[in-house]
Amino acid sequence: MSATDEKAPAASIANLTVALTRDGVRAEVLRGVDLKIQRGEIVGLVGESGSGKSVLALALMGLLPSSSRPETTGTITIAGTDMIDGSAEQIRAVRRHELGVIFQDPMTSLNPTMRVGRQITEATGDKAESLRLMSAVGIQDAALRFTVYPHELSGGLRQRIMAAIASAGRPSLIIADEPTTALDVTVQAQVLDLLRQLRDEFGCSVVLITHDLAVAAQIADRIAVLYAGRIAELGPADVVLREPTHPYTVGLLNSRLALDTPRDTVLQTLRPETATVAERMRGCAYSSRCPLADDTCRAQQPPLLAVDGSGAVDGSEHVRACWRDAATVRELALTRSDAPRILVSGSSTESAAPAVVVEGVHQRFVVRSGGRKREVHALRGIDLTIGAGEAVSIVGESGSGKSTLLRAIAGLVPVTSGRVDVARGGAQMVFQDAGSSLTPWLSVGEILGERLLPLRLGKTETAARVTTALEAIGLPASVSRVRPADLSGGQRQRVALARATMIPPAVLLCDEPTSALDASLAASVLNLIRGMREELSMTVLFVTHDLSVARLMGDRVVVMTEGRIVEDGTADQVIHHPEHPYTRSLLASVPEIEAVR
Amino acid sequence: MSADLTARRFGVPQVTIARFAGRRLNLALVGLLIVVTLVALFARVLAPDNPVQPIGALNLPLGSEGHLLGTDGIGRDILSRTLIGIQTSWFSALVVVASGLVIGGIIGVAAGVSGGWLDNLLMRLTDLFLALPGTLVAIALVAALGFGLQNTLIGIAIVWWPYYARIIRGEARAMAARPHVEAARLAGISRTRVVFRHILPGVVPTAIVTASLDIGNVVILLAGLSFLGLGQAAPAPELGADTARNLQQLLTQWWVPVVPGLAVLLLSLVANLGGDAIRNLLAGRR
Repeated sequence: MSATDEKAPAASIANLTVALTRDGVRAEVLRGVDLKIQRGEIVGLVGESGSGKSVLALALMGLLPSSSRPETTGTITIAGTDMIDGSAEQIRAVRRHELGVIFQDPMTSLNPTMRVGRQITEATGDKAESLRLMSAVGIQDAALRFTVYPHELSGGLRQRIMAAIASAGRPSLIIADEPTTALDVTVQAQVLDLLRQLRDEFGCSVVLITHDLAVAAQIADRIAVLYAGRIAELGPADVVLREPTHPYTVGLLNSRLALDTPRDTVLQTLRPETATVAERMRGCAYSSRCPLADDTCRAQQPPLLAVDGSGAVDGSEHVRACWRDAATVRELALTRSDAPRILVSGSSTESAAPAVVVEGVHQRFVVRSGGRKREVHALRGIDLTIGAGEAVSIVGESGSGKSTLLRAIAGLVPVTSGRVDVARGGAQMVFQDAGSSLTPWLSVGEILGERLLPLRLGKTETAARVTTALEAIGLPASVSRVRPADLSGGQRQRVALARATMIPPAVLLCDEPTSALDASLAASVLNLIRGMREELSMTVLFVTHDLSVARLMGDRVVVMTEGRIVEDGTADQVIHHPEHPYTRSLLASVPEIEAVR
Repeated sequence: MSADLTARRFGVPQVTIARFAGRRLNLALVGLLIVVTLVALFARVLAPDNPVQPIGALNLPLGSEGHLLGTDGIGRDILSRTLIGIQTSWFSALVVVASGLVIGGIIGVAAGVSGGWLDNLLMRLTDLFLALPGTLVAIALVAALGFGLQNTLIGIAIVWWPYYARIIRGEARAMAARPHVEAARLAGISRTRVVFRHILPGVVPTAIVTASLDIGNVVILLAGLSFLGLGQAAPAPELGADTARNLQQLLTQWWVPVVPGLAVLLLSLVANLGGDAIRNLLAGRR
């Protein structure tokens, strides 16, 4: 560690503006960001996709991709080095001695052809130090694990290896870019703990980049909320979460799904973006989505000022960029749920035939890895009956067999043994990744029209049905002419939903349809599914790893682990009075924000 | 983005020349493919003289009046012979590549989409052909079928498809495993329609790139076979044969063997650059 002034911040960003060219379009991704990261503090950088948070991380590392021709003004100073105009040699020295990085997906950021021990030693230069670091990040049997390849480790362990590499050479700043997004909740909690430990033990600062306020709330000392390349609000974590003073922070908090979100009302969402890029750049970028926006907001960009009105910004207090006064925004946070009610429990009648019957289902796969055959017993005797009109959620972590069960019910894979019956009308499915579940070279109209082929309708009637289906999911008819690549993630998932429901199926299977979406978008897709369910009195089977989503989407919640159902009960029973220890450990790992309400 | 970052971190060079040069250069290179095809198409119109009739003095040098590229050992116009040679080589290469694409495409898609025993059967058959030394088998086939351009093309086509079958099978398999194919199956779409609407269009870009990069190989193989005396029968012009027959003049009248040889080089270069350009253009769209 360099012997610079101990009081100097670990990193300081002043008036940073970054313009990048992506897909031939030039845009200002960061617009005047000021942020000082003090020594030994954890700063949570929160924003939706496109807010510029990852670009900020790249800029901090001096790694803006030259292929997108970055143009940077302002300064970034780390350990006395200018990370923008410094020589490549200086910047590399800072990266080597002062910075550590943890990326979202350790599988792609670790070198698959190198033993993990060697990768750590590349950073430490010394095997003994590597082993010490491996134990420090909580890897048991470090000597044994030293010689394995990344693919032989679980996701959580891989992320620990990344953490060991990041903390090699005692960096003064660790940048963690969505370090837990690809992990299960129980592992997520461990990795967050690890980040805090690293800070406590090494005294380094941590920049934690995440789209999830609750993740930041777990360990951050301060939270910076980023919107459209500017800091919307910045302050001590508990203050920002309890007394948000920016309408966007309020919106994020309100649209976040928690274990105590009311089940019987429509979920709160942010308003969709309606302004053009030029309009957003003129005034407050959030103005078109803000319920409090007035003419000032649309015309002028609000400056970042201290909430208490002192004007000066020295980096420690609560600041925000909003024209409306803090009290008005606070009221917005408190006015909750005059939201319309929604049907919760399905019209499941005992006498009606069940929509899905699964009896004694086993599923075995043979996996070949490097010439060795290994049998995976994905489902180990599943019995599940879903009544017509019922909504059931299946919760489990990766590898629990929940997706396999869904695919077995869909009939996409034949089961090894047991019985799967689906009522007349069959099953339709909404996939996790809407983008890859829509054929990329067909237009939306063609994709939806194909679903109607069995009905042998004429051209005009098909077009009319497609338009109706698009209206039902809140998209204009003109969408039928574009290809899936031209739509946003949320719109694609809507189209996938339209395809699945335009001829109502006996059961709608949802395989984590919202896990790749920002909180507010996810909430709007969930609203849509719940609305359709009410309207069509559809049977829904919803698979998720997120307990709060499971509780909202299912009258019944089924918990799966290692190919077995370990708990099955009404939503509130499972969430509030869990019986199985596994359910309890899942519940304990869910990151929650202490209520603002 | 993180993959991108890792690559940078470990110092892997990111900017290839083609990517750096951008779209305009790629389009120009594809244009070159079209120009060559047009030249081949109108070779008979463009050729100033009859390629097989001796019409001038022997061994005229480059730039002679009326014979821009000179004349050969029996007084035939080299420019005319080369143009007609380009026509023969280019269209022969296109025919071979097209046959490989069709045969290999059918076998590859059938194997990739079906999986299971049919996949195994077709791919073992492909392996069998791949294991044979292609050029030698082609020569043997020509010997069996009789000499001549047509038989040479048939011989090459018979050994040429396995390469395509392999690549297209892999691509079709990857496409068939994508969620959009499962979604289509769930939507109740018939098997044939799934193959033709949801799998095949995804295979086409790879197939086109593979084929365009392969044209150069066939041009060189054909020239090589003619060099050995197989292929187009004399006196019809053929680039490889013209190079071979006139090789003894290399030290005295170098242009007589070198001009047709350069034409072979030019054709395979244009084919490869054009293929690269098509790949770059398609990669940007996916």
